[in-house]
Amino acid sequence: MGSIVTVNLALAAGLLLVPWLGGDFLAWQIGLFLLYGVAAQGVGFAWGRGGFLPLGNALFFGLGAYGAAAVLKATEGALWVNLAAMALIALLCAALAFGIALLLFRGRMGSGPGFSLVTLALVLIAAQIAETTPALTGGFNGFSGYPPLAGLDPFGGLYPVIVALVVAVTLSLTLIERLPAGLILRGLVAQEERLELLGFAPHRVKAWAFAGSAGIGALAGSLYASHQGIVTPQAIGFMLSAELVIWAAVGGRFSPLGPLLGAVAIGWASSALRDTVAWWEVGVAAVFLLVVLLQPGGAMDLIHRGIARLGLTRRRRDAPPLPAPPSRAAAARGPLRLCDVGLSAGGIRILDRLSLALPEAGILCVIGPNGAGKTTMLNAVTARLPVQSGQITLGAVSLGGKATWQMLDHGIARKMQIPTVFGALTLRENLQLAALAGRMRGLDALRPSPLRWQTPPVARLLADPEVPLAAGLDKDAGHLPQGHRQFLELAMTLSPEPRLVMLDEPAAGMSPAETQLMVRLARDYQQQTGAAIVVIEHDMHLVDALADEVAVLHQGRTLATGSLAEVRRDPLVAAVYAGGHK
Amino acid sequence: MSSDALVLFALNATWQIAALALLALGLGLVFGLLRIMNMAHGDFVMLGAYAPVLTAQWGLPPLAAIPVCLLMVGLTALIVERLVIRHLYARMFDSLLATWALSILMREGAELAFGPQFRNVPLPFEGVTQIGTVGYPSYRLLVIGLVAAGFLALWLWYRRSLTGLKLRAMVDNPTLAEGAGINTARLSAGAFVAGCLLAGLAGLLLAPTLSVYPGMGLDALIRSFFTLIVGGLGTLEGLAVGAAVIGGLQAGLSAYLSQTAGYLGVLILAILFLWRRPDGLYRHR
Amino acid sequence: MKRLLISTAIAGLMGGTALAEVRIGVLVPDSGPAGLFGPSARQAAALAAEDINAAGGINGEPVELIFADVGVPPAQAVQAVQRLWRSDGVQGFVGMHDSAVRAAITGQLRGQLPYVYTAVYEGGECATGTYVTGETPAQQLAPVIPWLAENEGVSRWYLIGNDYNWPRDTNAAAQEIIAASGGTVVGEEYVPLGASDFDASLGRIRSSGADAVLVTLVGGDSVGFNIAYSAFGLDQQALRLGTLIEENTLAGIGSANANRLFASMGYFAGIDSDAARDYAARLGATFGSDAAQPNGMGESIYDGLMLLAALSNAAGSLDAAAVAAVADGTAFSSPRGEAVLDGNHVAQTIFLADGSSGAFEVVTRFDSVPSGVTCP
Repeated sequence: MGSIVTVNLALAAGLLLVPWLGGDFLAWQIGLFLLYGVAAQGVGFAWGRGGFLPLGNALFFGLGAYGAAAVLKATEGALWVNLAAMALIALLCAALAFGIALLLFRGRMGSGPGFSLVTLALVLIAAQIAETTPALTGGFNGFSGYPPLAGLDPFGGLYPVIVALVVAVTLSLTLIERLPAGLILRGLVAQEERLELLGFAPHRVKAWAFAGSAGIGALAGSLYASHQGIVTPQAIGFMLSAELVIWAAVGGRFSPLGPLLGAVAIGWASSALRDTVAWWEVGVAAVFLLVVLLQPGGAMDLIHRGIARLGLTRRRRDAPPLPAPPSRAAAARGPLRLCDVGLSAGGIRILDRLSLALPEAGILCVIGPNGAGKTTMLNAVTARLPVQSGQITLGAVSLGGKATWQMLDHGIARKMQIPTVFGALTLRENLQLAALAGRMRGLDALRPSPLRWQTPPVARLLADPEVPLAAGLDKDAGHLPQGHRQFLELAMTLSPEPRLVMLDEPAAGMSPAETQLMVRLARDYQQQTGAAIVVIEHDMHLVDALADEVAVLHQGRTLATGSLAEVRRDPLVAAVYAGGHK
Repeated sequence: MSSDALVLFALNATWQIAALALLALGLGLVFGLLRIMNMAHGDFVMLGAYAPVLTAQWGLPPLAAIPVCLLMVGLTALIVERLVIRHLYARMFDSLLATWALSILMREGAELAFGPQFRNVPLPFEGVTQIGTVGYPSYRLLVIGLVAAGFLALWLWYRRSLTGLKLRAMVDNPTLAEGAGINTARLSAGAFVAGCLLAGLAGLLLAPTLSVYPGMGLDALIRSFFTLIVGGLGTLEGLAVGAAVIGGLQAGLSAYLSQTAGYLGVLILAILFLWRRPDGLYRHR
Repeated sequence: MKRLLISTAIAGLMGGTALAEVRIGVLVPDSGPAGLFGPSARQAAALAAEDINAAGGINGEPVELIFADVGVPPAQAVQAVQRLWRSDGVQGFVGMHDSAVRAAITGQLRGQLPYVYTAVYEGGECATGTYVTGETPAQQLAPVIPWLAENEGVSRWYLIGNDYNWPRDTNAAAQEIIAASGGTVVGEEYVPLGASDFDASLGRIRSSGADAVLVTLVGGDSVGFNIAYSAFGLDQQALRLGTLIEENTLAGIGSANANRLFASMGYFAGIDSDAARDYAARLGATFGSDAAQPNGMGESIYDGLMLLAALSNAAGSLDAAAVAAVADGTAFSSPRGEAVLDGNHVAQTIFLADGSSGAFEVVTRFDSVPSGVTCP
């Protein structure tokens, strides 16, 4: 916390000194690029933190600018009315962005270029409308003839207001990084699928990030209107959008200060040098190209590395853990039933009217030859693949039409076949995210204390001397050996205390000792919580050690159910396995 | 609408579609094979369009524009592949940004090399061909024919030839293709250069019908993009369908409402496709 | 261009040691869509400075020019303007750029420095301390449309322009002038900036039965339109009149596509007068192979500087109020001929030129055409 205050105080002091040291004119010049910088911070937030690149963020900058200009014209001078109206415009822009992102990301669109291109098309549309509706926007020649905010002189009183916005935005973005919201965003970029299995809706997380990005842009735009005294279509155009991206990239998109630095440095230098250095534009493009190729973290990344080398980074003190609030996953009830579930992919029928009733409690092992549809069955339950016919119900509730992220609230948690953890995050952060799962509500994302939550299952695992997690909590999960990663994923899966745990080959890649530990942990969890556990497994020794009940799948159907001994006696099962015991 | 107007509309729409397909072909090739959004695509079109300007300036015969175009565009593409593109395979955002920077560089470079002024590329032959009672510029008819023939040839080649087979293998599974002894690095470089050459040829062919100046690439890029978005990123058939939909929509809206409506219509259509059908009308396989 | 930079820098150094100087900010587009006018505008400015200094400078002091690129968005353009004003101490501005930049500049200057705007534009600029030498729609059309009606026999006009303020305002003026001259407007349409497909518009022009087309498309759009226009043989049906087709645009269109393409402006390279011939010759002599094609947009900077010098000499200083007091009636001459400030706009000579041969040949001239702008 201390460093955040220091950095932002230094930022505020440094910026407020500009008019004293460099004069009102320099402050006015810098003011413009600070406003662009704030909009670039918005781009950096969506791109660096949210993992998706908006190519049309001038849309919100421009809407803020035109909106503020219209308000200033209509309400001449009333400060609080103006400020309230500008805040409202920023909120509306954020809401618009939220809606756009929600619609786009809910579909099949990932964080890929599709989203970027939609935002590009949107800004092209907006610029075209701004240019061709002179009655509304002043057209190409621009919208002018309004007083600046509260009569503040762009060469005087407006500058501190701009600095206030810069510091407020920088502070907020830095704080968010230290809050659950920031952790969730990092989880989103690191491993979207795991985040979804932990009950977070990726499209909503992205929509919030985009809304923040847009709101910031609109705030910057609304002050830009006062700073310039005129708003022209360029303020809502594609070129500005592209420049915001360039500034964010060169300055460093992963840091709240990076885009600000990029915009002020490149913008101000361009304005000062464009007329004297003949190859200026070429130079800027070349620097941009080199940054993309060689230094994806931008200038701030270099600075951070320099600071780290000097040993100036402070170690974070660990606050004592807090007991986590009850999990929604633990409250869910009812056995899971699959009834005549059919699922095809690529023209191949994988689940063929599969029916299976899971026990309310206890461990069910699902076995079957390769291609029997075991993993696909889990995918059907967790809505990773769309079910084409039949029904999946949990107690009285149908799970049909629900999304993966909703499963945790129904008490369903899943460990993947290939261990899926947040590789770029530390073990501690992985567990912090898992502690939020199923327990976080509303504004918890913006409070610091939920990061200290500890859940009973994780506390038990960390206290267990055999479990290899407690020692390396500050290591990156991506560097863990395969076996350790399995235990981390298990811890994250059990953390929300689910009523139905699905483990897909939990002992893959494990030593015999680790396999034994895994068996014990699964059994312990079942006994402590009375949950149901479904295990997909090939290893018959493991099945023998774990299973209260066994189901055999073959060609997308249930072939047999019962105890392992019963199933083994089943002639149908014997026929299927006749080819070779596995 | 009279039958003359109908014929004219059909011809205009065909011309639009042919021009769009021609412009988008190189971009589609590079994206389909390499998954790289080449934002500098339009600038390769620009480079190709300058070829006839230069040949005229050097006093060479008009047909020399073809080798000049291939050489100039090919060399640029080769250098760009070596220095930039090679390091960006499978880095979708980075390749998008790097080629955007490249686009600015090429535009500014062209301005320094060729000057900022408009250039005129005279038609290789003048004249209007009568189709029924409607007269249509002969050069446009030639381009339409060339595009149709070119697409057919390319489609056959891609389906039948060994290189086509290797390319398809590489798109399906680069690692496996590498294992099967296909030199994917060389194939990728070849595909990128080929895509740029197609862009250059598009510029060369369309130069007499366009305004030729350093900044002309942006328009070519945007139009190619929307064609690909609707058609689906990565197949020849899709590209043709995309060109037909975009060209038809723009021609239709422009004819019955206004050019601005046509432009906005294309943008909105592109958004709808990106949102609802990100694979375009033609799904990849 | 680089040579020019160096020579102005040297001139600045030498002048700085010898005499006090008057610094004038010259705002030209070096980048952006209007960037192609940058070189000719800078060269026009250099010749004007030479002529002003040869005639004794501004109020007896030599003039020094400081250039800035305003082919950028308005927010960046006003940064340059403020820098020239506050850091470099310029005492007046001459600018050739788009109207959005002009509106942003007048908003910054607020009449505190004299500012001459020289580009062809839509009219209506009445900001204090702002003087306009640029041709207005009234100037470019009021004498020309009746002349074409009489001499070319055209009366059915089709208006096509880019979709923004200047074409719309030009066409609004054209509507009245055409009606007054007994003609009719048979179609009016606008295409978005950056359009490349004009087929639908050409179809409409054909079926409208127009015998004249007023073209207010700009830059590359104008080139593309005119190429397609001729490809469809529409030049047989209707003549074209452009109010922003200068020598560069005509070169892009090409001689093969310029049949019956007229343009109306205050300057053409081919004006048959001593002043204009002398101007073209001096460009060649001064800049050699770097000499840019002279054109009305670039040359307008010469007019702007001459007006500013004349205003200052009449007022005895570049003080905005002093200049304003003497402004009305100030006269100056340029390669265009004689012009007189009437209000804050100029009454000037307008030329009608025919581009059929691929180069503009002046067919007629109209002297002392009023701007049609009256400020309150």
